Amino acid sequence: MRFGGLTAVKDVSFCLEPGERVALIGPNGAGKTTLFNVLTGQLKPSSGGVFLKGHDITRHKVYARTHLGMARSFQITSLFPNQTVRVNTLIALQGTKKGRYNLLRRLLGDRHMQAAAQALLESADLWELREEVVSSLAYGQQRKLEIVLSLASDPELLLLDEPSCGLTATESAEITSRIRDLGAKITVLMIAHDMDLVFGVAERVMLLHYGEIACEGTCDEIRANPIVRDIYLGTRKSLGAGGVVHRA
Amino acid sequence: MVRRSAEPGRVDAGPGEKALTSGTRRAPRSLIEIGLPVVVMSVIVLVLPTFLPAFVSSQITKMMIYGLFGMSLNIIWGYAGIPSFGHAAFFGAGAYASAIFILKVGITNFWLNLLLAIVATAVIAAILGVPAFRVFGVGAGNTNPIYFLLATIAFGELLSRLAIAVRPVTGGSTGLSGIPEPDLGFGFRITSFRYYYLVFVIVVICLFIMYRVVNSHYGYALRGVHDNERRMQALGYNTWLYKYTAWIIAAVFGGVAGVLFAYYGKTLVPNTFAMITSDIAFLLVIMGSTTTFFGPLLASVVYVGVEYAASLYLRDRWPLIFGAMFVITIMLIPEGLGVWILKLWKKVIRGAAT
Amino acid sequence: MSVALVTGLNGLSYAFILFLLAAGFSLTFGVMGVLNLTHGALFVLGAYIGLQVVDSLGWFWLAVLLAAVALGIIGLLLYFFFLKRLYNKVPEQAVLTIGLGYMFANVILWIWGPRAQNMQKPEILSGALEIGGLSFPIYRIFICGIGLLILALLWWIQDRTRWGAIIRAGMDNKEMTVALGVNYGLVSTLVFVLGVLLAGAGGVLGAPIVGAFPQMGDNLLLLTLIVVVVGGTGYIQGTMLGALVIGLLDTFGKAYVPKAAMFFAYIVFLIILLVRPSGLIGRRIF
Repeated sequence: MRFGGLTAVKDVSFCLEPGERVALIGPNGAGKTTLFNVLTGQLKPSSGGVFLKGHDITRHKVYARTHLGMARSFQITSLFPNQTVRVNTLIALQGTKKGRYNLLRRLLGDRHMQAAAQALLESADLWELREEVVSSLAYGQQRKLEIVLSLASDPELLLLDEPSCGLTATESAEITSRIRDLGAKITVLMIAHDMDLVFGVAERVMLLHYGEIACEGTCDEIRANPIVRDIYLGTRKSLGAGGVVHRA
Repeated sequence: MVRRSAEPGRVDAGPGEKALTSGTRRAPRSLIEIGLPVVVMSVIVLVLPTFLPAFVSSQITKMMIYGLFGMSLNIIWGYAGIPSFGHAAFFGAGAYASAIFILKVGITNFWLNLLLAIVATAVIAAILGVPAFRVFGVGAGNTNPIYFLLATIAFGELLSRLAIAVRPVTGGSTGLSGIPEPDLGFGFRITSFRYYYLVFVIVVICLFIMYRVVNSHYGYALRGVHDNERRMQALGYNTWLYKYTAWIIAAVFGGVAGVLFAYYGKTLVPNTFAMITSDIAFLLVIMGSTTTFFGPLLASVVYVGVEYAASLYLRDRWPLIFGAMFVITIMLIPEGLGVWILKLWKKVIRGAAT
Repeated sequence: MSVALVTGLNGLSYAFILFLLAAGFSLTFGVMGVLNLTHGALFVLGAYIGLQVVDSLGWFWLAVLLAAVALGIIGLLLYFFFLKRLYNKVPEQAVLTIGLGYMFANVILWIWGPRAQNMQKPEILSGALEIGGLSFPIYRIFICGIGLLILALLWWIQDRTRWGAIIRAGMDNKEMTVALGVNYGLVSTLVFVLGVLLAGAGGVLGAPIVGAFPQMGDNLLLLTLIVVVVGGTGYIQGTMLGALVIGLLDTFGKAYVPKAAMFFAYIVFLIILLVRPSGLIGRRIF
């Protein structure tokens, strides 16, 4: 992916198996969010393609991909600040439903959707806060809602961008267990800096550095790999001849 | 939702609003809570003309028409977050279309006329919406709202000049006059007294439809697009389509107001398309609170009242007063009358309780 | 064909007047992000003040100076009492300045009456240059000259001076600029006043050509906006280019196809929005 003269992401190629939990790690500026933006359609790749369940979705609009089962959460919390938690959830739920163009039926009177919203919020322990306006919520609660909204479309592929960003240890632990409990139906690709989160959830880890995959492997392999440490500590600037790419 | 005789309730105008149109909107209350004051007000409005002089009823008619105009703009401005400065384009479109259909094409039936004017306005909105949304919204890159603002201003002006240029059809700069009384069919004559009621009926129907729309699935999606368009796209919404359709819907209601205006004043001038008319709608929305449903209607009452008073005593200074209303609103009551009155009401209720 | 040359001069001088009008707006909007929709009214006010000075004191050059100063003061007041408080709130600025625009226009009407005013050109500049059987009004040549001078001056400030660099840096990243120790508040105020000054001066200088009547402000504001959008914000050259396009198009249009000429500016505007929204030479924001 090139931006003018800058190659932000280069030759990144990988496959996700259904139900897999993969973590994408790497120092700041490595191109992780750019990669996400290409996957979700906010950016068009300068070369290469994105495929979902066999379909070529490289040219698909952002919202079209959600209908195909892709969902995403944002690193910088992206909610509807002037609406209540309940309304946020309702809006998220109807995003992939036909009824979202209905001009005359009252949204708040839709029992079916209200029940779905309730289920979703209860599973995340946010139900008591349902009438709170989002802008007045604590940061940790907002992060939880952020993920709840991404799950609303019942996705098969969930892209989480730093889900535990800015959270306390307790809150992170909670997020970790929730992601673990997501079930085998969902494939999760997660950008994270928090290693507890990564090792607690991921089956496979990819390390991105200056836009290229520096190494890849299971948690144990990554933990043992000295390159990872070097890159994070900044003692290794480029891949060079010593770069090793593991295949899981 | 807020009503003129508002009931008390939770009001959150949003801590430190960063933009004029953000701010929490109160959830709609139950049918009774809204229904009762609406019915009461309606009865009052219906009964008024019988014991008030004709010129007052005439002013109230104007209040209703402008109220509809303001509220149509609020659909895109307050709910969808689209700051259009050229809404008069549609008001004028509706007005001129209906006038042209009567005077030049000879369609005298009011209802047919209204329908045709609505279609015409919708078509114009559909055409203008394409370049407009090229410069507005997430898809258009890192935008500066001014470009959209300017585009909408240009639309109004463009139509205004069109009206001046196409003399045979639109009467040029002198405009069209001699619009007859509306003919409802069945040989039923509408005097200006009865026109009051016709306007009332139509405005109430429009407001009812608007109310349903903004509280519908679609309406909430629209609010979502306003609050966070990027998120909406990630959630699966075709945000362009929402903005575009909201634009057309608002235009249609504006056009209806225009038709009512044409029959009211019986004369039309190209200024109906111009900035000055858009500014009236704009003032109504700003003065009335973008976060309330009935705000612009409330503002319309104030506006027409002030305009009338000015026409009696300070006729030459009207633009000064008009401009002053903008300034005063922004500097003193930036959240708008709707929100301000609600707060006042709350204080009163609390004061009475202690 | 040769008549076209005269029309060309007319168009060029009109373009320069538009430039003077739009440059001020481009500065305040492009640089500070302040939407000052009173701009058209200020231009007219400048014209009227200038007219008053000429009527009372007779000196054209003094008129230009006094009008500019008067407007500078008004601009300062505007900035301090109103616009400073609404920093970054663009819709509020729009509302406020639209309202003020109406008020200004009405005040002008109140003081000077509704009739259009005619400004006399100063003696040295009246008359025309006869070349090859065509007459080129000297005043128009003068306007082009002054316009070029001001364009050069602004361009030089923008590209070659520290002030220009500060302004450009501020456009990109205000916080950083302030963090670097620049008194951006002062710069902002000065830029705003400069913008208003230009409008005022433009009003007086332009009056002999475009006249002056109270309701002019509306139309002028629209032209300003169109010029700025067509040319692009951020660069003074853009504003000049926009003024050239619109000015020449409008003048030649009026000369050859008067009925359609009204539309040209708006059509160009819409085309630009569709095809190249950041303007002909604008900072790439789309």
